[in-house]
Amino acid sequence: MQQQLTNLSDKELISRARKQRDREAEGVLMDRYSHLLVAVTIPHLKNNPNLDPNIVFPTLLQRLSASLKTQTIYKANEWILHIQKGYLGKPEKNTPFYPSRDGRDLLHIENTVDKAATNIIDRQDLIVRLEQALERLHPDDKSIITQFYLENKSFADLSAATGLSRDKLRSQLKAAKGKLAKLFMNQGYVK
Amino acid sequence: MLSSKPNNDKVLKIFSAIRCLSRDQLPRYLDGRLTDVERHLVEQHLTDCDLCYDALQALEKEENTDNYQDLTNKLQRYVHNSIQPVSHVQKVAQYTRKEKNKEHLLTYFWMVAFIGLGIGSIYVLRGHMRNQPPVRVMAATLPAKDSVKDTVVTTAPVITPEHNTPSATAPVTHPAETSAKPLIAANTPHPDSAALKKAAALKALQKKHAADSVKKQQALQKQADSLKKAAADKAKDDDKKPDPKPEVKPAPKEDKPAPPPDPPKKETPATAINSDEYLYKAAMVYQQQGNLGEAIDRYRRIESVSSGKYVELARYQLAICYRSKGQMGKARRMFREVIRMEGSMKSAAQQALDSM
Repeated sequence: MQQQLTNLSDKELISRARKQRDREAEGVLMDRYSHLLVAVTIPHLKNNPNLDPNIVFPTLLQRLSASLKTQTIYKANEWILHIQKGYLGKPEKNTPFYPSRDGRDLLHIENTVDKAATNIIDRQDLIVRLEQALERLHPDDKSIITQFYLENKSFADLSAATGLSRDKLRSQLKAAKGKLAKLFMNQGYVK
Repeated sequence: MLSSKPNNDKVLKIFSAIRCLSRDQLPRYLDGRLTDVERHLVEQHLTDCDLCYDALQALEKEENTDNYQDLTNKLQRYVHNSIQPVSHVQKVAQYTRKEKNKEHLLTYFWMVAFIGLGIGSIYVLRGHMRNQPPVRVMAATLPAKDSVKDTVVTTAPVITPEHNTPSATAPVTHPAETSAKPLIAANTPHPDSAALKKAAALKALQKKHAADSVKKQQALQKQADSLKKAAADKAKDDDKKPDPKPEVKPAPKEDKPAPPPDPPKKETPATAINSDEYLYKAAMVYQQQGNLGEAIDRYRRIESVSSGKYVELARYQLAICYRSKGQMGKARRMFREVIRMEGSMKSAAQQALDSM
């Protein structure tokens, strides 16, 4: 059972945990992100000696488990980070997770790309539209995206070429991707 | 456009979702031990995923890494431990539920089976009881009733000796009586065994038992008397006819059993009807045994002594006795009398009269 569940996607695990009240699916999901949760929480534990890992992690898991049953979760990683930040920032307040407009745009495009993977006509159409959006992007953004995604250059290569740090490079890439997504989504109106 | 052709599919890469870094990918990326393709995928994901990027940044600081493995193992163990008991409990619950269902089904089955068996056995038992002659049951119940009768009977012998004395005054008849007595005494056991087999004649049988016991006692007394008398008389004159009237003999002798039921009737008027019934049934027994003369005598007595429906019944039975004796004239007269009484036996009597 455990073996079969580990092969399932996050989405499937979440729906199982929610609809079938499958504690095992929930556990597999937590297990999948446990190392990231630990890694993200370690700096907080270092900075704040009052926090006891024996209390923090079980409470975090409880919060995640509780919100899993009530919240709409598009991306497990975003949701986990949100809950973790909410817990460590304001432990007394339980802020619900809701993805931003940009996040939903990205999600939408990701889903369409995912669906088009098996449909050649859709895929061709999608490629054409994406290239059109890319053409209309700012040249700086276009160049960085082309280098990173299409020419398979690593962070190290790009930072060496541009002289930017990895953080800045990443945020630039993220921003460029956001712009591209916006252009792609608004293409219907521009045509 | 041509130049972008090879890049065609790569455009889609920009927006393809990639999974978060797995447990072993994270340290390997930190150490730079990933292949180019894998590293590129990880970096693509890192641009989108804040969680993984934050984790990476946290682990890049040297002091955090030693704590990381330990805490991760702990957390995973915690997660496993919190799931497993639950799933185990669920499995146990499922198993017990299944077993319970099985048990329920079994109990239902056995209940139905036992009910079926019970009904079947009752049915079989009934059939058995219906076919079996009820002798054994009757034999069991008989003694109790006999003892009741015996109490009634015991009152009778006290009176009989007084009636006996007149007979003792007529010593001529005694030798005949001694011969007649054993005859009756020998006769009675045979009808006894025959009547036992008839469930319907049971009550009458009981009555007869009582009557018989009275008779036997009387007979014993008479025998004792007659033996004494005979011893005395034989000395005087032995040339008397030993069989003057064997059929007439029963009549005077039967006068004695009849009075015993009468005194109780006089003592307790409340039981008058009961004693009438008793008399009637005793007479019926004689009739059934074929002792018509005695039956006729008894019916006569009922006719003269009692009142109500037993008179009618007795008359009717008298008529039947006469008829079976061949005394048609008397029978007709009796039937007519019954008809004249306008009782319950009227139609039966009319029919009998018509058929004669």
